[in-house]
Amino acid sequence: MGEGLRAAWPIALGYFPVAVAFGALGAQAGLGYLWIQLTSLLVFAGASQFALVGLLAQGVPPLLAASLGLLLNLRHAFYGPALRPYLKGGPLEAFFLTDEVFALALRTLPGLSPEKRRGYFLGLGLGAYLSWNLGTALGALGAKGLLAWPRLGEALAFALPALFLLLALPHLRNPVALLAGGVALGFHLLGQTAWGLFLAGVVGLLWKEPWKGRKA
Amino acid sequence: MTLALLLLALGTFLLRFLPWRGEKSLKTGQAGPALVVALFLVSAFSPPPSSEWVRAALALLGTYLGLGLTGNLGVAVFLGAGLYGLLGALGF
Repeated sequence: MGEGLRAAWPIALGYFPVAVAFGALGAQAGLGYLWIQLTSLLVFAGASQFALVGLLAQGVPPLLAASLGLLLNLRHAFYGPALRPYLKGGPLEAFFLTDEVFALALRTLPGLSPEKRRGYFLGLGLGAYLSWNLGTALGALGAKGLLAWPRLGEALAFALPALFLLLALPHLRNPVALLAGGVALGFHLLGQTAWGLFLAGVVGLLWKEPWKGRKA
Repeated sequence: MTLALLLLALGTFLLRFLPWRGEKSLKTGQAGPALVVALFLVSAFSPPPSSEWVRAALALLGTYLGLGLTGNLGVAVFLGAGLYGLLGALGF
């Protein structure tokens, strides 16, 4: 597990300022500390947490807000099956399966021996989870002064796209991945990021043949 | 409101867990690579297109070079994030 925990630090670096912002948003919306923290403890899915709190603050009925949050998370249904060749999913593994944990695990698990994979994955998830919840706590308890230097918050949050770039590098010559990425980016530019990511997963799913790369 | 929170938590967990459990292997084709590339593009480039994209592209180039120089994923991410902050401070 220690190896996974150590490997989680780029994710933790990126999660922290976003989680502080989430905690601060919840506090601004008048939600109690316990409720805000429970959201991060139980849901552990950033975009849908922001959506839930934002919609509740606007007076949207709670069950509708939760349903919309779930729509944002539809893409998560693709992650487990993509990891299954390397790791069987149990409840704990599934709980930690965020976008970033998935992407990093997809890159690293194939290179690990099968007996090491579960511990590594759980370490990765735990590192991300601790950072997310610590950031939430600090933000909700009024430490939004941490974000008083906007450049610092921006820079730390950029750790996530930087990490995704490095994880995407091996796939940037894969035409299916590029097509799916184009679909996702197109929807993203139209303000429909969640649907774009879901459709990217569908595009990849429909393409049954593995990409073998260019022949020498 | 607490019910909404519990519904979101349970639903998210089931979305992650149900397709992953069990022994039977699902054919996922290229879903993994497709999603990783998609996550990269949507996280790096916020709409609408603007000079912010240039800043992001330069910082991503720095990240890539950082990986080439150090061979360490974490250090490269740190360098990219630092460069992004620096470019912002310089007015990009």
